[in-house]
This record gives sequence, structure tokens and C-alpha cells, in this order.
Amino acid sequence: MLINFTLNHKPVSIDIPTDITLSVMLREHLKLTGTKEACEIGECGACSVLLDGELVNSCLVAAPSVMGREVITIEGIHAEDGGPNDLQRNFIEKGAVQCGFCIPGMVIAGEALLAIKSEPSRLEIREALAGNLCRCTGYMQIVDAIETTAKERAEKPNLSKRER
Amino acid sequence: MAKFEYVLAKTMDDAVRLLNEPDIRSIPLAGGTDVYVALRVNPVWFDRLVDIRRIPELNEISIEGDQFKLGAAVTFSHAIKNPILQRVAPFLVEACKTIGGPAVRNCGTFGGNVSNAAACADSLPSLVCLEAVAHLRSTKGERQLKVEDLVTGPHQTQIEPGELLTHFTFKVPPENARSCFIKIGRRKAQSISRLSIAVIGTVDAAGMVDYIRVCPGAAVATPVRFPKVEGVLLGKKPDKEAITAAADQLVADMIESTGRRWSTEYKEITLKAIAERSLTKIFLEDGYHVN
Repeated sequence: MLINFTLNHKPVSIDIPTDITLSVMLREHLKLTGTKEACEIGECGACSVLLDGELVNSCLVAAPSVMGREVITIEGIHAEDGGPNDLQRNFIEKGAVQCGFCIPGMVIAGEALLAIKSEPSRLEIREALAGNLCRCTGYMQIVDAIETTAKERAEKPNLSKRER
Repeated sequence: MAKFEYVLAKTMDDAVRLLNEPDIRSIPLAGGTDVYVALRVNPVWFDRLVDIRRIPELNEISIEGDQFKLGAAVTFSHAIKNPILQRVAPFLVEACKTIGGPAVRNCGTFGGNVSNAAACADSLPSLVCLEAVAHLRSTKGERQLKVEDLVTGPHQTQIEPGELLTHFTFKVPPENARSCFIKIGRRKAQSISRLSIAVIGTVDAAGMVDYIRVCPGAAVATPVRFPKVEGVLLGKKPDKEAITAAADQLVADMIESTGRRWSTEYKEITLKAIAERSLTKIFLEDGYHVN
């Protein structure tokens, strides 16, 4: 089945089997392996992507259903020069990354929260990460990274996405 | 070769027609949060998914006179943000907040939660308390069933192949109603209910209970009201003693329905506790609270 959609701000046209999930399309057909698959039942959040700006588990989304919609994966989140953006830099600085497997999903969930809430409380950050499991860090540093990024962005509200 | 096909339905007529095409087993797809999980453990039980998520009518939340209308493809995130629903049925909104994590709530729908009919489905107890009616549409026409009757057992409903669950309606509860939903899970978020309860009620000018609905989740095979429990409170002053009597009645009714099972030792204590807590919340405290 031929589907057209926007992937990381660029139009994509791809012929896919009708029975695959969005995560399989991203990883196996588009070779974007930043999106991880682990539980494949919507428990772990490793496969998190943004679909029309909303956080979803790509392992539970029918690939053909993204026709005409906008998908942002971890590959679409970076600074203008292609390096890590402010949120990703804060993950590094706060020690929020250990094995790293959950981190693409954590960054996506963090961006989904910051898009709708400019200064979230720590409780709100924890609630936003409720569907993302990390077995290394104990979450504290991940919450720290998102909290710090929120404060920095609030101090520089005119910073465009590209300048982050 | 693909194990099943996919088709996007643009209108309700389109969806009903596609679901009824002969020689191809079609099922509706909304959020996918149950279908794709089931596909991980079960052999494929259909030939085609009919995607109903983008049909405008199925995504509507509206109020007309005293009737509240909730589209089957409304997501839990959408419902949580809706100011009218927050006002008329706060316990349903609280229940939606306990479902999965943010990503699951962004996809999961009321129609899916009800038609999947898990005993632990979190939107069901509040919908049953509201006496919500499910509206079904097929090539034969439309029919309506109370949600309480629609669900006949764990993962079993009266929805027939080719029938599309389009929306729910319920009468807006009295202005002075207070409601509460409590869920017991193994962790604070992204958990499956071990037990839950939804209650809604009002007292009259003399302080006596004149409206009460009680529906626990995951207590018996399907989410149903417990008329004997409601009877204990109706017409009485809802003090601590009456609330304890109602909670005891609920536990007795649960055991009468299920027999003493391996989980009863846990459930009889826990159900009593959340029944007392929720009824206390609506009659002796501020209502609306959860967990």
C-alpha cells in the first residue's frame, strides 16, 4: 500500500505491507533505528514518537494510518547544526543517560510535554513520563534534565526551535 | 504477504459498508491500543482493519438538552481536556486520567475500551453509573443498548460482526451530584486496575440520599450496578454507619456473584475500603476526588 506522510518535516512516499506497525515501518522500511522496540505492547515507551504533535507508542499505531499526517522521531529532534538540542544536551549534562535504550522515547516524551507546558512541575514531568520505563537511572536525572530545559526555554522564550 | 488489509473509512456509512462487505472479515480500528496488543499473543482473527478514527461524528463530544453525547472514537486525552465533561461527569474524567500513560491515552478511545470489555476497563464503571447507552449502527439500521447490558462477560459484548459502535449518550446527572472514582493498581501510573469503584450521588434538602449509583470495576465478571447497595443508602442519612453498611453489602454481593475465589481474601478487604472511601468522599467530604 502506497502511503504519503510527513516525516521529520520532509514529505515521504513509501510502499508498505498493510499489516505493519509504525515502529516497524520506521525501523525496518525507513531505517530510522533511533525509535526502539522493546515490549511492543505499549508498556515501555521506547518506541515513542510524535504523531501530529501528540505522544504515541509507535508499536501500537497502524503504519498505513499515518497517511497524510506528521510524524516526528528522535532523528527529527536536534539543534540546527545536527548536534544535540538543549534538551538532549541537558540529558547528557545531568547524567540522565546510562545504557541509553529508553532515551529516544524519554526525549520525545519530554518534548511532547514542553510543547504544551512551558514550566511543568516535577510531578507533571513524572506524569508525562509515566509511560516510559528506564531500568538504569531511577528517573531523577531525567526529570532534572527536562526541568532544567523548561527553565532555560522560559528564560529565552523567543528562541526558535532551530536555535535550541 | 500481509496477514491483513487496512482501509480508512471516511464516513459512518463508509465504515458500516466496509464492515459488512461479504467474504472479508473486517473489524473496526480506532486507537489500536488493544488490537495491536492482542495481535502479539493471538493468531490474526480478521482479514481487514477498518480505520474509523478519522470519521468526524465519531470524534464529537456534545451536549443537547439533558443528553450528553460522547463519540466512540473520542480519545481519553480528548475527554480529559473537555470542560463540559469535567463539569457534568468529573468521575469519568478522573477514570480516564488513570488509563495507561499519556501515549496510550492519546490513542485509546471510549468505543475501544467498552467493546474490548476487559473486566478491569477503567471507563466502564463511571459509564455504568451514568446509565450510558451505547448506539450501534449496521446495515439493518440502528439499535441502542445500555452499556451495562452491552457487556456480557470478560471480553464479550452483544456487538455483532458488522455492527459499528458509534457513540454513547447519557442523561446529565443532577446539578448537585457528587462523584468519585478510585482505582487500585500496582503502581501509580500505567497500571491495570486490580479493583476500582465509581460512585455518584445526591442528598435532598433534608440531607437524605435521593440518588445513588455504585459500580465497582474488576470485582465481578462485568461492570454492573449493585441495586442492593444503592438500596442500603437510598432515603437514609449518609453517615459513617450507613456508608459502612453499604460497603459491607457490596462485599457480600460481590462474593455472592463470584463465589470465594483465590483473590477474594484480598478483594473483600480492598473493595470494602474503596467503597467506604469513595462514599465518604461524595457524602461527607468534597466529592470529585480520586485515588
